[in-house]
Amino acid sequence: MNANQRKMVYRVLPYAILTLIGVCFLLPLLWVLVSSIDPNAMQSLKMPARFTGANYADVIASRENQRAFLIGLVMSLGQAVLLVILGLLAAYPLSRYQMKYKKPFMLTILFMTSLPITAVMVPVYQLFLSIKLYDNTFGVILFYVASALPYGIWMLKNFMDSVPSDLEEAAWVDGASVFGGLRKIIAPLMVPGICTVAIFTFSGSWGNFFVPYILLNTPEKFPASLKLYQFFGLYGMVDYGKLAAFSVLYAMPSVILYILSQRFMSKGFGLQGGTKG
Amino acid sequence: MSGLAIEIGRGKRKNKSWIYFLFPSVAVMLVFFIYPILLTFFYSFTNLALTGESARQLKFIGVDNYIRMFEDPTVRVSIWNTLIFLVGSAVIGQQVLGFLIALLMKHKNRMFRRVIGTIVLAGWVTPEIVCALCLYSFFGDEGTLNSIFSLFGLPAVTWLYTVPMIAIILGNIWHGTAFSMLVFQAALDDVPSEMEEAAVVDGASRWQILIKIVLPFIKSTITTNMMLVTLQTLGVFGLIYAMTGGGPGTATTTLPIFMYNQAFVNYQLGYGTAISLLLLLMGIVLSLFYIRSMKE
Amino acid sequence: MANGRRALLFAITTVVCGSILLAGCSDSKSGGTKKTITITYRDDGAGENGTLYKWLKDVAAKYSNDKVEIKQTPIQASEGDYFAKIALALKSKDTAPDIVTEDTFMINSDASAGYLSPLDDRLKDWSDWTNGSFIEAMKKGVTASDGKIYGVPYNTDSRGLWYNKNIFKQVGLPENWVPKTWDEVLDAARTVQQKAGSDVVPIWMNMGKATGEATSMQTYEMLLYGAGERLYDDKSGKWIVKSQGILDALNFVATVNKEKLGPPLSKVLNGQAGNTSSREYLPKGKLAISLDGSWIPGNYLENGAAPWPEYKDVLGFAPMPTSKGQAPGSITLAGGWALSIPKNAQHKDEAWDFIKFALNKENTEKLVIASGNITVRADVAKDPEYTKMPFNEIATDYLKNAEFRPAQDKYPEVSTQIQTMVESVASGTAPDAAAAKYAQDVTRIVGADKTIEK
Repeated sequence: MNANQRKMVYRVLPYAILTLIGVCFLLPLLWVLVSSIDPNAMQSLKMPARFTGANYADVIASRENQRAFLIGLVMSLGQAVLLVILGLLAAYPLSRYQMKYKKPFMLTILFMTSLPITAVMVPVYQLFLSIKLYDNTFGVILFYVASALPYGIWMLKNFMDSVPSDLEEAAWVDGASVFGGLRKIIAPLMVPGICTVAIFTFSGSWGNFFVPYILLNTPEKFPASLKLYQFFGLYGMVDYGKLAAFSVLYAMPSVILYILSQRFMSKGFGLQGGTKG
Repeated sequence: MSGLAIEIGRGKRKNKSWIYFLFPSVAVMLVFFIYPILLTFFYSFTNLALTGESARQLKFIGVDNYIRMFEDPTVRVSIWNTLIFLVGSAVIGQQVLGFLIALLMKHKNRMFRRVIGTIVLAGWVTPEIVCALCLYSFFGDEGTLNSIFSLFGLPAVTWLYTVPMIAIILGNIWHGTAFSMLVFQAALDDVPSEMEEAAVVDGASRWQILIKIVLPFIKSTITTNMMLVTLQTLGVFGLIYAMTGGGPGTATTTLPIFMYNQAFVNYQLGYGTAISLLLLLMGIVLSLFYIRSMKE
Repeated sequence: MANGRRALLFAITTVVCGSILLAGCSDSKSGGTKKTITITYRDDGAGENGTLYKWLKDVAAKYSNDKVEIKQTPIQASEGDYFAKIALALKSKDTAPDIVTEDTFMINSDASAGYLSPLDDRLKDWSDWTNGSFIEAMKKGVTASDGKIYGVPYNTDSRGLWYNKNIFKQVGLPENWVPKTWDEVLDAARTVQQKAGSDVVPIWMNMGKATGEATSMQTYEMLLYGAGERLYDDKSGKWIVKSQGILDALNFVATVNKEKLGPPLSKVLNGQAGNTSSREYLPKGKLAISLDGSWIPGNYLENGAAPWPEYKDVLGFAPMPTSKGQAPGSITLAGGWALSIPKNAQHKDEAWDFIKFALNKENTEKLVIASGNITVRADVAKDPEYTKMPFNEIATDYLKNAEFRPAQDKYPEVSTQIQTMVESVASGTAPDAAAAKYAQDVTRIVGADKTIEK
């Protein structure tokens, strides 16, 4: 093998491996994708005799589904935004200040997240009853924020650590406050990290059915996740086509969020290169 | 950096303004997360139950739940299952695969990156319950995997019953790898290209660059990611529950499944919380182990 | 600048904390002159097509009490989740409904927990209850271990062997099948296995943890009681943890699986198994015998989950024989549902008044006919409207030998141990090993002084 061939292999091999991985990752998705456009979808994968958009149309047309999606979006977006704001604020002193109990503090909150959420739900339920937050959408958002904060702070702090402090200090010279520096200098440089955390929290709560299941009672307040859980778990003769269509639609918001954020990520990359100049 | 900036910085960072930064987060966590966890801890010493005689009166029963836990053979099976699942799907599966994808994707065609990235991410952003549905149909008796097998003339396998552990491990790799991929992508983006370029000029091979420059640079990311992935995987519930329900028998009963069964199927909340604290302990021990190993 | 920053942080904190308080205030209920009676039941996902939904709407419309408004607050959940969610709701005055539907096997447990109000004082003034309109045996199902009554039953059920006459004819088995012993049941299954082709499942029993109470009741307890054993010894007040009857029952399960007479494990060990057999396999002629409940034809009605007009002619319903044909010859277990009033209910008197109306002869009859259940009222049982429904008469007839699950507050927990035991035998564990594990687990739950070996 001469040098040219070798170069060729090095160039093609990563594409080949990635394509293989991509195919493997695509396979489990095939069934939902195909079944969602199959008028006679079954539990097994098969080529549809004909294609239909009726499954999607039915799911979208249902007012109940529209409401569930809207509620889910409000909950998950609300959580992601609140979490990023609170998390950035908390991450700042943890990243920049000399603090005595920083490390134990970080580790403690992080360890708490290894408790399965199912374990804390009963105390949370009792808490929500006593402070009258039961069956309250905003209460669910607050709980989501609280349970995602440990990860959020941890990750944001790590992303923040990699932002060099000289840019920020230069801004101080120009008269910016600590908070101004965080908002105008650090946060924009952390866009990739913020996106990662935001997507992470968004998908976490968007997909969670157990928390709203325990903390909400009125079916009109149920988010899409709970709707799907019931869709999936309850019908005997499941209408697989509609289930698949619902699932695909349900996965969309997170996918779109990721595609959008990829644009930010490359921008974030470019900006960071600028710090070295 | 000018002396003036340092002066200002010291002034700014010396005051107690960190309280304002931390307070909102800490307040929310205290009320909605830490307090319930402390209650959980308290309940693990009680006979708290959802229904039946013991639901009428909460009784302090000391360490009975813990004694029961150590005598319960299913707990041992569950711990073992949890560890297999953890090592197979998180430590090896997601971590290595996620890094490999991130590494291979670097500097590749933008469109290609986007397509592969989106596919891998689809498994992650797809909510757990849909994932379980996808995986269920993938590993099912008449599922996609068996269809592929039959294309090659191989016999069908009842994946979820003959090799349930492998099925849930592969399922969790599929579901979780994107997280590691994202983390490593961001970390690799931070590796200064000058360092790599300089190494190339010095005649280093790709492998050497990876081992000598890239990996040391992202070492703390690896440890952090390892820890986060471990903590997440320890708590995986919905995926396993929907795919196998912890069965057949106890073949895929991990601690979260066992805990759920005790608390919400057997209605023994007190015992359930004790089990969940065992899980917490596992998380702490493993994390400390990672942190220790990073220091060395 | 510094002030601005602080102000913003302060604002965020205030918003977060303030909204907690605000959320608490916005909860107040609108006070009208009408009292709202809430009624909670399990919605199996059918929503406004559900039998209970339609029935309650109809009954509420006819209920002439303009001081009261009936509000449905169904819980959409699987059966197991429903009990957990109900237990949570009943704990607090804020969340407890005025009326709740209880599975009779949970009544004792929820009564012991102090979640339900006893109805004895109210019942003694209700002539329907005292004049024999309710079948006397059915009152046992709603009586807790303290001797008090905690619910008014509205339906019951029996269990037996459903079989597909077309398949039976094809393989040369009698179309009017009345097996006398377990061996005859197994032989019939073997005949089907040999002659009907590989895509027909000879016999289906629910055997998984995921099918919950269906595994305990339709499968294990039918076998155990048929072997002449009981779960709980009423005389000594102890749970039976070791006996030949337990092994006999498990051996039946083991035989079915060893000889591959049952469905594939992947189909039977998941939560949908009950629906798969009744709504898919049985109507499609892919299943010969199914050990299941009397409510199954409810699926096949015109507005049921799997309409199948031919079911009347194709299906047969045979009694489950005792193991060796010993007296009483056949066995069934009876369960059912009841309306109860939670201890934390806000409007107990109004709730009671509505229950009396909803469960009168006319209204109960509508409900049991629509849902395909068996009535608990003697007057309905005689009504031609009711008896003309196929299988209703046979199913009601089986109730003569009906057994009930032990009215013990530990039963739900013991039941999950049963499911674990049956599933482990189905997936290959030896019956004696599974039984030993069961003995150990039950002893741990009820205490060593409350168990007995035979």
